[in-house]
Amino acid sequence: MSRKSLERKISRRKFLGTTAASGAALTALGTGLSRVSFADGHTIKIGFLAPLTGPVAAWGKPGLDGCLIWADWVNAKGGVNIGGQSYNIEFVGYDNEYDAAKARTGATKLIKEDGVKFIMMLGGDTWPGVQKIAEREGMLFSTLLPSDLSPDSTTLLAPCEVHPIYNVTGVEWLAENKPDLKTAVMCAQDDSLGKPSVATYLAAFEAAGIEMQDEPLFFDPATTDFAPVMTKLLAGNPDILCLDTCYADYVHPLCEQAFQQGYKGQIISCTADFYQKIIEKTSAEFMEGFIFQFPDFDDPALNSEGVNFVNPNEFYAEYAKRYGASEWSAVSWEYASIMDLWADAASQAGSAEPAAVLEAMKADGTGKHAFGTADWWGTELFGIDNALVGNWPVVVIEGGKATIKDFRSIPAWWDKHKDLMIKHMTALGQMWNQRG
Amino acid sequence: MDLLWQTAVNATYAASYMALIAVGLVMIFGVMGVINFAHGELYMLGAYCVVFLYAQENFPFLLAVAAGLVFVGLVGIVMERTMFRPLRDNPLGGLIASIGFLLILQTLVVFGFGRRMGHVPPSTQGKTEIFGAILTHQRLFVIVAAILLLAALWAFLKRSKFGRALRACAQDAEAASLQGISLNQTARMAMFIGAGLAGVAGALTAPLVSPTPYIGHSIIVTAFIIIIVGGVGSLEGAVIAAVLYAFVHTFVTTFFDGVIANIVGLALMLAVLIVRPTGLFGARERA
Repeated sequence: MSRKSLERKISRRKFLGTTAASGAALTALGTGLSRVSFADGHTIKIGFLAPLTGPVAAWGKPGLDGCLIWADWVNAKGGVNIGGQSYNIEFVGYDNEYDAAKARTGATKLIKEDGVKFIMMLGGDTWPGVQKIAEREGMLFSTLLPSDLSPDSTTLLAPCEVHPIYNVTGVEWLAENKPDLKTAVMCAQDDSLGKPSVATYLAAFEAAGIEMQDEPLFFDPATTDFAPVMTKLLAGNPDILCLDTCYADYVHPLCEQAFQQGYKGQIISCTADFYQKIIEKTSAEFMEGFIFQFPDFDDPALNSEGVNFVNPNEFYAEYAKRYGASEWSAVSWEYASIMDLWADAASQAGSAEPAAVLEAMKADGTGKHAFGTADWWGTELFGIDNALVGNWPVVVIEGGKATIKDFRSIPAWWDKHKDLMIKHMTALGQMWNQRG
Repeated sequence: MDLLWQTAVNATYAASYMALIAVGLVMIFGVMGVINFAHGELYMLGAYCVVFLYAQENFPFLLAVAAGLVFVGLVGIVMERTMFRPLRDNPLGGLIASIGFLLILQTLVVFGFGRRMGHVPPSTQGKTEIFGAILTHQRLFVIVAAILLLAALWAFLKRSKFGRALRACAQDAEAASLQGISLNQTARMAMFIGAGLAGVAGALTAPLVSPTPYIGHSIIVTAFIIIIVGGVGSLEGAVIAAVLYAFVHTFVTTFFDGVIANIVGLALMLAVLIVRPTGLFGARERA
């Protein structure tokens, strides 16, 4: 076909103009809403405002699935006793697609139309869209990402996951058990989830005496081909490959690329969601020793004294039965564990009103975190003591199965190395008073 | 030196699948005058053909890829018949219809396969070493297939009766029609080929990416940059721009980082638009 033969019908100027306009329209349109709500009745409604679609859905949808199990179990036992009255719990889901504007719409809808008493979020890039509404309405919110916390948001709690601070436990364990590994490289997606995690890993590596071979490599979240990223990371033959807090959609191809490009060293990552599928794409030998932070809940170590999550092995079995074991992700249990805290606090307060539940939850400065009693903490890092911080598990893949190797204390690490953490958080602009 | 070779190998792979997608997009635009915003979703659909046939139903990988090409090509024909033909005299209408269609395709895939990434095990874990660089056979498939398909397309357009009809329609549809060439038939053919190329790119790369119903978004942005750099409507330009963009993006990613690579890719497009507004191989607009 001749070079000019195809140029007709639409002028170049019109093509460029309409393409740009349509791109903007497409972005604004989004990809639709997904909602889950359940029958009305003598109930209290809880909002679930998280990504249920898109690349971050692995940290939203499995959490809602876990909450449905939690609600079925609690409701089957008569519900939550609040002020002498039993209430069933209903979850009202809203898919924010990890978009701040959609999160704002969802929060408004959940509060004004659905009358929810508490809203659980993943947080991160979506929290800025909701922050003003939380302040105005006094609604109690939870986030999985305590980097959302600030003194301006007194009704926002991080009662379960203390991302990314717990990542220090994995590095600390690695340094103690494999002291010969001395050099590391790291990559992360360039967003509000990746950056604080990079700062945390940098602090943890420095505390452990592990040298970074290069600056952390940030990649665009729209990346689909990870070969160049991995080629750069492996160029210096590092002892440790750190995948930071990459989304599952990135961890899988990154691991596959590391495998294909012949990497034989240690991998450490915040998550390894659906790790069985990574093993299928690589090999059990390649994934042996992979360190991350999220256990399968059929792990017998979770039955030890001090773990507060109710019936973890049974929860995992029910989850696997309903959705398949391979669908288990880092967040499958987290939102359910937050509901344990909420239900206890509402019972103590004798009220489901947000202010009363918040006061009861923080009454004595401690709380029953899933992995043990923990403290409400965070002033130095987040400007407010609204993160529940205690022990966190270190998980290693052994024989193709995630295995808890240890529970490590985050506050103990903090007491020794907090200057390093603050230094790296500040350098990346991730302290609470630096965030816009 | 190994790093340079490895980066060159990575870039060659990226250029291969980008060229397939961009040439398909140019084909549709050239013959039908439609800006097909659903082109990224046709790529996604090809990937899901492999998710279904190869990963779930255990058909041979190459059979699944061939099925992806044909199935997505047929989807293209449906698009032509139901959307683009009735809106033939309204190019903006075709564009808006394609945006609607992409949302329909995404939703259908979500219904069929769920929202999360599809899992496609590699069809082979074989690899070849070239000057110290590793080229996996899975990536080699993509490179070889792209060369063969683009060569076959070139031969088809230059040597066959249908190819000449396509070129004639692209040059001047009214004159072609007066010569007895069916506009409907050529549009159908262009849509089948254009969609099929996107579909086969998706199918071939499915084991190398994490297919999700939304993967088309990032693909279409890259494809538009490439065809603008190459010259809107130029097949040769699309191929050369795909190679240029892939090499620039891959080398910058490797030696700087991915975010800078995106900025450089967009800067490349802007530079071309400033220096040569019609693109590298585009012709000037006619009065």
